[in-house]
Amino acid sequence: MSAPAGRQATAPVEADPDLKSTEKTSDETRRDRPWLVIVWNDPVNLMSYVTYVLQKLFGYSMEKATKLMLDVHHRGRAVVSSGTKERSEADVQRLHRHGLWATMEQSE
Amino acid sequence: MFRANRRRVRPDGRGGFELHLPAPERELLASLPAQLDELLSSLEDRPADDAAVPDSLRRLLPPAYPRDDEQERAYVDLARSELLEHHRSALQLLESTASASNLSAEELESWMAALNELRLVIGTTLGVSEDQGEIDEDDPDYSQWVCYSYLSFLQSEVVDALSGLLPPPLPGADDEVPDDPWGEPLGGLRWDGTPVPEGP
Repeated sequence: MSAPAGRQATAPVEADPDLKSTEKTSDETRRDRPWLVIVWNDPVNLMSYVTYVLQKLFGYSMEKATKLMLDVHHRGRAVVSSGTKERSEADVQRLHRHGLWATMEQSE
Repeated sequence: MFRANRRRVRPDGRGGFELHLPAPERELLASLPAQLDELLSSLEDRPADDAAVPDSLRRLLPPAYPRDDEQERAYVDLARSELLEHHRSALQLLESTASASNLSAEELESWMAALNELRLVIGTTLGVSEDQGEIDEDDPDYSQWVCYSYLSFLQSEVVDALSGLLPPPLPGADDEVPDDPWGEPLGGLRWDGTPVPEGP
């Protein structure tokens, strides 16, 4: 089985807290905001399967993956990763390969 | 009904797995992939054409940007062919190894993917809900429900078996997940723009 990919040694990408709106155009500021990868609840995917996929793809602990799975199950969705647009899109693609209902949104 | 009294998938002690499946179950697993593969192959000519996707297959091809048509089109152009190919190769491997006595971990991963694809399509067609009760023997779709139930049982065994091979968690990975900004910044909306249900 392949090792979890894409999470090694990458710091979370966040907008610079010191960013002043006068320093960049609104388009540039928008590009800096992190993207959120969201998994939505569906009645087909098994709870054990969702937990397994989150562990395998993101290297999360069993406890963290279970908590996220339960958020999906009880609250309808969970944010499972965040980062640049490119990284989030790669995460969505990996989740789609596993049949999970994943979408991405840029945080406000 | 299938008898769920003994483990179908067991570690072989060498990093692979033994399959202990009765013949009727193997026949079912050999016959199902071709039916779905035929539907998926019909999309390969027009992978980026959303109008060509029948409702039963939509669950296999979810949107990445459901509220941004332009970005969604770019995602479909980039990802759909590869996603279809991934789905089809898993189905083909399940079909060709349905009578195998042993599987490598990679092959069992493909089984897991194929079982899930079949469940997504059959479950969506049947209209499975969260609180599914007993199967009604008078239901005209009774055999489909039994099939779905069997695939769920087998997939659960496969997930249990593969979970034993997961590497240790990556240090720090848990801390990278942002807190769910419940209600914000998504505005309390689901992907399709409808409100999310209240939390527990």
